[in-house]
Amino acid sequence: MMTEADYYALFEAYQHGELAAPARTDLERRLSADPVLAQRYADFTDLTSTLSSYGQRLSARRKLRAIQADLDAEQAVKLAADDEVLETGNPQMPQLHISRTEQKLREFWQGHRATMMVAASVAVLAVFTTLLGLEWWKARQQPTQYGYTMLRRDVDRIKRTQRVMNKAINQIGAAPASINPGKFSGTGFALTSDGYLVTSYHVIQGADSVLIEGRDRRRFRAEPVFSDVAHDLAILRIKDRNFTGFGRLPYSFKRGTAELGEKIYTLGYPREDQVYNDGSLSARTGFEGDSAFYQISIPVNPGNSGGPLLDDRGNLIGIISGRQMDVQSAAFATKSSYLMKLVDSLSAMNTLQAYSLPRTNQLAGSSRPQQIRKLQDYVFVVKVYE
Amino acid sequence: MAKATASYTDDEFVAAIRRGDDRALAQLYRLHLPMVSHYVLQNSGTEDEAKDVYQEGVMVFYEKVRDGSLELSCQIKTYLYAVCRRLWLKRLAEKTRFGGRLDDHEPYLETGAEADLLEAEERDRRFATMGEALERLGEPCRSLLEGFYLLDKSMQQLTAEFGYTNADNAKNQKYKCLVRLKKLFFTHYKEEESF
Repeated sequence: MMTEADYYALFEAYQHGELAAPARTDLERRLSADPVLAQRYADFTDLTSTLSSYGQRLSARRKLRAIQADLDAEQAVKLAADDEVLETGNPQMPQLHISRTEQKLREFWQGHRATMMVAASVAVLAVFTTLLGLEWWKARQQPTQYGYTMLRRDVDRIKRTQRVMNKAINQIGAAPASINPGKFSGTGFALTSDGYLVTSYHVIQGADSVLIEGRDRRRFRAEPVFSDVAHDLAILRIKDRNFTGFGRLPYSFKRGTAELGEKIYTLGYPREDQVYNDGSLSARTGFEGDSAFYQISIPVNPGNSGGPLLDDRGNLIGIISGRQMDVQSAAFATKSSYLMKLVDSLSAMNTLQAYSLPRTNQLAGSSRPQQIRKLQDYVFVVKVYE
Repeated sequence: MAKATASYTDDEFVAAIRRGDDRALAQLYRLHLPMVSHYVLQNSGTEDEAKDVYQEGVMVFYEKVRDGSLELSCQIKTYLYAVCRRLWLKRLAEKTRFGGRLDDHEPYLETGAEADLLEAEERDRRFATMGEALERLGEPCRSLLEGFYLLDKSMQQLTAEFGYTNADNAKNQKYKCLVRLKKLFFTHYKEEESF
């Protein structure tokens, strides 16, 4: 009886081809006939092949280890390190040495980069929206429109002339102390005899203090009482103690609408002296069809704003407001009816300070120069300080 | 030791390694280590872990090549990368068993790495069992079998080494050892398989 070990000897001999031909054929026959023997043979083959491939695996591992050790040693030499053979990195990928904080920051940035980008763009967007929005809102506040020019005079621009004039005054000798000319100026006129005046809203817009100056160089301090932005109207009151009153006003205010083609004129301060201009009423509506304004064909200049607009019979029919740049000689004036409405509503609100408007008109019938002579003392420069 | 780098193409690499050219193996190993090392370091691994994973990956490749069963459908570099990536992700998953899932963000590439890895795993298990069986076999059987099968020593050498009177004696001893090893190996292997 053969032991299993004997069979193994037989199998090995068979595999190595050491069996004689008859013995081999005999074994092959028995292998195909006897399933137990075939199983035993399969087990033997399995075992030996596993063993030898296991051996190969071990040797391959040794090889790889050796290669790695080579690499490490190479790296160690390269670093000229003393003993840190195992601590070295591989040669081709130099390690980046960064501090702990920096690493944290880097990780944070990696993780939250997208979020921060979004936050930043939202912030930028918000800032610009706010700025533009504010700008737009401010623009809305002013009745200025494209092509429409407010006729308030920027005094800085003419400071040079002023200086020349001051020099001239100094040479004369009766030298007044140098006068702060204010930042802007416009024209205003008396509303009542007890110290109310009318001018354009845009003249006193943003004013810290308002000074009015008559033809006789008398100055009074005034304060805005009421402003109507939509109709570009402002009512001022003189608050100086030594002010005694204007005296009786020569003109009256027209409550209705003036006729087209009416001869009209204005007095104003586009420069340091009073300037007269005339023309006619050319349309019943103002800029872009605004029904609160007239269109007039009077050549007006910066500084004319707030000036009175009178018709032939000396009725006050409007207040000069602005002009259109792209149209020849098209100026605009607020209708006096709106001024009247404003005064009426103010009187109704405040019974203590009744507005006693002039009822009679002393200008009717007199010639233009005579009218102007009577009128000129009631038209003032409005100087605005910011 | 800056070796003259005789550069091989992929095909030459495979052919050389199949022939058993250790220089080619070393060169291949050097060539792709930085890539895998970089990948592992980028994915919260250490230098040593990178080397480990890389060796395992190269081993898979090497055994396939020696087997002659490698069917390379892409570059060796891609293949090694895929294998090492799978290996590393698996290790990571084991390491962070409690910490969330791991995403494999990279596009799936058909490299055959998956199948090869499964095969390699099976082989690993087999070898582990074999190693264990050898451990249990005891002396002198273990040394005898290791000497013959693992270290490729001849029977004559072993006869002298172990002090047998002649080679036949040694051979007989070897067969007896084989029988015992077979019992240990198969009972163990089948047991594990039944899991």
